[in-house]
Amino acid sequence: MDSPPAGLPPPAPETLHPALWRAHQLGRAHDAAVPTGFAALDAELPGHGWPRRVLTELLLPHAGVGEMRLLAPALAAVAGAAPPAARSLMLFDPPARPSAAALAALGLDPQAVIVVHGRDGAHGARHLLPSADLLWALEQALKSGQVGAVLAWLPARLRADALRRLQLAAQAHDGPAFLFRDIEARARPSPAPLRLALHSSGADGVALQLLKRRGPALARPLRLALPPVLAPLPRARAEAALCLAQARQAAAPAPLAAALPG
Amino acid sequence: MLWIALHLPALSLESFAATLGAARQALPLALLQGHRVVAVNGVAAQQGVQPGHKRATALALAPQLCFGQADAARDAQALRAVAHAALAFTPMVTLDTSAGLPCVLLEVQGSLRYFGGLAALQRRLRAALAPLGFGSRLASALTPLGAALLARWRSGFELGAQAQDPARLGALLDAVPVELLGPGQAHHEALQAMGLHTLGALRRLPRDGLARRFGPALLQALDQARGDAPDPREPLCPPPVFDEGCELYERTDSTAPLMHGAGLLLVRLLAWARARQGRVAGFTLVLRHETRQRGDAQVPAQTELRLALAEASNDLVHLQLLLRERLARQVLPAPVRALRLHCDALQHGAPPHGELFPTAASAQEGLTRLIERLQARLGPQQVLQPQPCEDHRPECDTQWQPVARPGRARAGAAPLSPAPLLTRPVWLLPQPQPLPERQSRPLLDGRPLQLLAGPERIESGWWDGAPAARDYFIAQAHDGALVWLYRARLPLVQQEGWFLHGRFG
Repeated sequence: MDSPPAGLPPPAPETLHPALWRAHQLGRAHDAAVPTGFAALDAELPGHGWPRRVLTELLLPHAGVGEMRLLAPALAAVAGAAPPAARSLMLFDPPARPSAAALAALGLDPQAVIVVHGRDGAHGARHLLPSADLLWALEQALKSGQVGAVLAWLPARLRADALRRLQLAAQAHDGPAFLFRDIEARARPSPAPLRLALHSSGADGVALQLLKRRGPALARPLRLALPPVLAPLPRARAEAALCLAQARQAAAPAPLAAALPG
Repeated sequence: MLWIALHLPALSLESFAATLGAARQALPLALLQGHRVVAVNGVAAQQGVQPGHKRATALALAPQLCFGQADAARDAQALRAVAHAALAFTPMVTLDTSAGLPCVLLEVQGSLRYFGGLAALQRRLRAALAPLGFGSRLASALTPLGAALLARWRSGFELGAQAQDPARLGALLDAVPVELLGPGQAHHEALQAMGLHTLGALRRLPRDGLARRFGPALLQALDQARGDAPDPREPLCPPPVFDEGCELYERTDSTAPLMHGAGLLLVRLLAWARARQGRVAGFTLVLRHETRQRGDAQVPAQTELRLALAEASNDLVHLQLLLRERLARQVLPAPVRALRLHCDALQHGAPPHGELFPTAASAQEGLTRLIERLQARLGPQQVLQPQPCEDHRPECDTQWQPVARPGRARAGAAPLSPAPLLTRPVWLLPQPQPLPERQSRPLLDGRPLQLLAGPERIESGWWDGAPAARDYFIAQAHDGALVWLYRARLPLVQQEGWFLHGRFG
C-alpha cells in the first residue's frame, strides 16, 4: 500500500463512514429521520428528527405533560400521508383511552390508531411489571415492520434484557418507536440511543432534557411551545400565575415545602 | 384421454402414523384388524413382523410394537384429502378402491398444456401431495382402469409409450397379476388353481366360457382396462362444508400434540379450500374431551375454538401460528381425545398477487396478519380501534371496537390538518376522579388548581339514562401541566363537586 501524499491532511473521520462522528459533533442517522415539527428540537437531534429503526425513550413524571402534542407533528407525518402510503399508529397500554376528537384535532386520523392492551387489561393503572403478553405484542409489532409508529407505555422497572430485545426487534421497524416510562427510570441504563426527559414548562409548553443522544451532552433543557390548548389571554394568565407561584416558592422555600406534604 | 393413477400403497398405515407425535413415528408400528396384523411399517418389518401375524406373535417379535386399529373411515378421509389436492390440477378426479387398493384417478389431457407437459404436471402433483405425507406411486395410461392397474402393480410407469399407444398399453397389461383386477379378487384361488396368473393368460381364453365361469364383470373390467369397452367415471365433487376429525393416539392436554393433530387437519382443510377455489376466512376447531372420569359432570363434552380471519388466507404457516396462539390462551377443562375441524367460511375470488417488492397492498396484508396474531393471543377485545361518534358527552364520543380491517375506512379522504386550538384532552380518564375542594377551589395532589379557561357547558344525554350536566374548565396544575375538570351541576342526579376528567397529553 502506498502512503497518502505528504502534503495533504488525513481525511476527517466523519467523512469516511456514516457511523463515525467526533465527540463534539452530532451523529448521523442511517435512515432519514422523521422531522419532529419543532425546528429547535430538530437542530439538536442526530439526523434532525425522530430516528427510525431504534427505540426512543421519553421519561415523564406523569402522563399529560404534553407528550402527545410533542409527538403529534411527527405522528401525523407518518400516519397522515396520502392513503396508499398511510400507515397505522399502535399504542400499547396507554395511560388512558385516547379521545378520538382530540386525536383528530391533533391531525391524527382516529382510523389509523390501534390500541393494544395486555391481557390483564388494567386500563390506566400503572403496573409494576409489564405483562409478558404486552412485551410479546410489542416485539411482534416492531418485528413485523408494518406499523408506521409504535408508542408504548412501559413501567420504570423493566429487565435490561427485555429492553435489549425490543431494541433488536426495532431494527426491522421502519418508523419511530417511542417508549414512555416513568422519570425514575432515568437512573437505569437503557440500550435506546435517544433518551429524553419531559417536564411541563408552563401552559402549552414542554421542557425537554436530552439525557442521551449520539453526540455531545446538552446541559440546558430545551423549551418548546406546543400546539396550544389555551387562547392567548388565558395563557398569559397561566404564565403570570406560574411566575407568581415560583416567586413565592423562592421567597419562602423551607416552610412551604414542610407544610405541603401533609 | 390421458389418465394418471395415484396409488397410495401404505395409506391406512400412514394415516394412522400421522396422528402420532413425531417422537413415535420412529417406533415399529402395526395396524390390527380383528386380531390380525394387516399392515406394518419399515421398522416393524425389519424386526420380522409381517401382515397376517397374530397380535401375540407380533408382540413376541417386536416388544416395542405400537398397535393401531385399522379404520376404514380414517382411510376414506385421507383418500379424500389426496383427491382434494389432486383437484387443483384437473376437474375430473375420481376414487377407485377396487381390490382393496386405494387409487385416485386424474384425467389430465386438458391440463397438459397449461402445466407444461406430463412430466412437469407430475412433479407439481407430487409437490402438492407432499404436505399430506402419504407415499404414492404414479402411473399414466390411456384408460383409467389401465392406469390404476399399472400403478398398483409396480413403479416405473409414470411416463412412457403406454400413455399414447393402445398396443403398448395392451402389452403391458398382459403382464399384470390377475388379483389386482377388482372382480378377479373373488375368484383369486380358482384362477390360481387354473394357472391363470396374469391378465394376458385370462385374455387368451374363450370369452363366452370366461363369462359363464366367472361372471360378466371380470370380462367387462378386462375390456375397460384395455380400452375396448367404455369406462364412464363420476367426477368427485368436494363437499360445500369441510368437517373432518382425527382421533388422537393418547389423551392429551398439552399444546404440542394438539398442534400436531390440528396441523394434520389444517393441511387437509387447505387442500379442500384449494379444490373449492377459495381461501379460508375462518374455521372452528372442536376439542372433544375425555369424559370418562366420574364426578366431573361439569366438564363439557367439547371445547370450541373459533378463529376468524380478517383477510382470508391459504397460508398454512400463518393459520398454524394463529391456532398456536389461540391454543396457548385456552384453558382446557379436561384432556382432549379427538379433534374436529369445521369450516364453512370460504372466500371466493381472485387471490391477492404475490409481490417481490413491498407495496401498499402487501404492507396492508402484513398489518392485517400482525393484528390477527395479536388478537389470537390477547383476545379481540384487547386490540381496539377508536370510532368517532356524534355525542357531546366526552365519554361517549369515542366507541372502541375490535380492529376488523385496519386502515380501510379512510380510502380517498383528505389528510386531516391540526385544529388551531385543542379543546379536548387526549387522555380521558375512564372514570372521572372526584377532587377535594378547599375554599371552593379544586385541589389536585394537595395543591390548588388554577382555572384558566371555561366554563364550557355540556348538557346532554337525558334521554338515555346517563344524563350529564357539567361545566368544564381547563386548569393548570402546580407544575404547569394542563388538566380538564368539570363541576357537576345536577346534584340530585349525580355526585356533586369537582371532577378531574382528562389530561392534555
